[in-house]
Amino acid sequence: MVALSDLLDDVVADVDALFVFSPSGSFYERFADADLDTPVVVVAPENAVDAETYIELPLEFKNVRDRIRFGVEGAMEADVVEEGDVIACSVAVFDGDQDAVIRVRVEEKMRSGIYDLFANSRADPSVIRDVFEVAIELGKKGQKGKPVGALFVVGDAGKVMNKSRPLSYNPFEKSHVHVGDPIVNVMLKEFSRLDGAFIISDSGKIVSAYRYLEPAAEGVDIPKGLGARHMSGAAITRDTNTTSIVLSESDGLVRAFKGGKMILEIDPEDY
Amino acid sequence: MTPAATLLAAQTGVPTEAPDAAEPFLEELFGLLPRDIWFALVVLVVGIAVALLLGTLTRRVLEGLGVPDSIEGTSFERTARNFDTSTVELLGWLVRYFVVGVAVLAALSIANVNYADRFWSRVVEFLPMLFFAVVIVIVGIVVGDKVGLLIAERLRGVKLPQVGIIPAAAKFTVFFLAALIALSQLGVATTALVVLLAAYLFAVVFLGGIAFRDMLQSGAAGTYLLLTQPYAIGDEVRVGDTDGIVQEVDLFVTRVENDGEEYIVPNRKVFDEGIVRVR
Repeated sequence: MVALSDLLDDVVADVDALFVFSPSGSFYERFADADLDTPVVVVAPENAVDAETYIELPLEFKNVRDRIRFGVEGAMEADVVEEGDVIACSVAVFDGDQDAVIRVRVEEKMRSGIYDLFANSRADPSVIRDVFEVAIELGKKGQKGKPVGALFVVGDAGKVMNKSRPLSYNPFEKSHVHVGDPIVNVMLKEFSRLDGAFIISDSGKIVSAYRYLEPAAEGVDIPKGLGARHMSGAAITRDTNTTSIVLSESDGLVRAFKGGKMILEIDPEDY
Repeated sequence: MTPAATLLAAQTGVPTEAPDAAEPFLEELFGLLPRDIWFALVVLVVGIAVALLLGTLTRRVLEGLGVPDSIEGTSFERTARNFDTSTVELLGWLVRYFVVGVAVLAALSIANVNYADRFWSRVVEFLPMLFFAVVIVIVGIVVGDKVGLLIAERLRGVKLPQVGIIPAAAKFTVFFLAALIALSQLGVATTALVVLLAAYLFAVVFLGGIAFRDMLQSGAAGTYLLLTQPYAIGDEVRVGDTDGIVQEVDLFVTRVENDGEEYIVPNRKVFDEGIVRVR
């Protein structure tokens, strides 16, 4: 007899691990107490359920594919799963509770570098997350309704400062503003009308605005059609150990570069 | 009629010159007990009303100040919850009982209950002290718990089992202080405990000062460096025999990087040896 639950049986048959994305406490406990023979991995912005195996999700990725890719990549880094494993992911596609189970085969090509971007950058993961949030916010609202572009260079600030020159006086000189501070959104919105890059140190201090980056641009591989801001943002990540996060003025997307390559592209409207 | 009786009559609502037919009955009732007893009863009733009002007011004020939220999760609050009440509720009841107690004593003295006069006067002196001692103990337990929880929260990122001793030490310090204040409030001899406290504080401050001397020096130097910024991120500097590019300046250390080697220089050293800015 065919029952509706057969649909799910096929999806979860012979999985090596169950990934639960941002579970509520009671939801997680149901699985944790059930003594399943498959390990349960929690992927969430914070470990609110005190799970044994836990992967930190730095951004609430709206896009389910990005979310799952990040979780799988993090699990691969942490040696929780390996290539060839099959996992079942319990996620919330729409807002609210878990509403879908997705079967994923772990493959080496899933390693896109998103996890690496947060976890293994010079700057603290929380700093990168804060910069992303600022960029997304800026992309959503723009400056007085008009789209703005911005370039944030995060981490390895000493070297970046030596590979760039000021376009004018640095408005952040002798100030101690960090990207997580509440006032920063407003400040950056105002300063984003200045041309040039924002330089942010490993610990999140905004070192300078209004910088003209002077990296060597050979061998930089970014998609065609992106402008000078993206090019210089990508190039500086090849020359130094930094991560750059670029908000495009023309299409409004936020892109992250590391090691001269584009790692992540997100649409601010999705967050 | 004496002024006191007029006042009494006004308070109880017994009409002094009521023209209706109930007058003889009321007068009879009034005459049944001595005036002092009536007055004492009024005081008692008013006292109970005030007690209920003050208790509710205490609860409202504490709730308005956000006390229930901020003490959420402390063990005292949890114990209180187990008995279907809460800390705020308990404090409210404490205030009520205190005021009722005062009212009862006032009523007794008005009614001229003469027996054991000295005993009652001692009790009257002792009651406020007991009240404050109990309040101090409750506040001490709640605050101590909360301090312990907050510190444990801050230290949660440090995955070291032994670190659990720090929140516990902070918690019991607060308990100890609360107990000390409560006991001295009750007039119990606390000299030995005060000596113990002094020894403890001396150990914490003095030994802590020795242990954290370098940190304090670096912090003081770091304050100057952060305020005046003699060198900034990106400058090439030399401290002693270390040279490189400044990557980060915080309160305690300056990170100087040179060809893949990152030196973490305590700010104390920047002041001791001076810093060379290489141009």
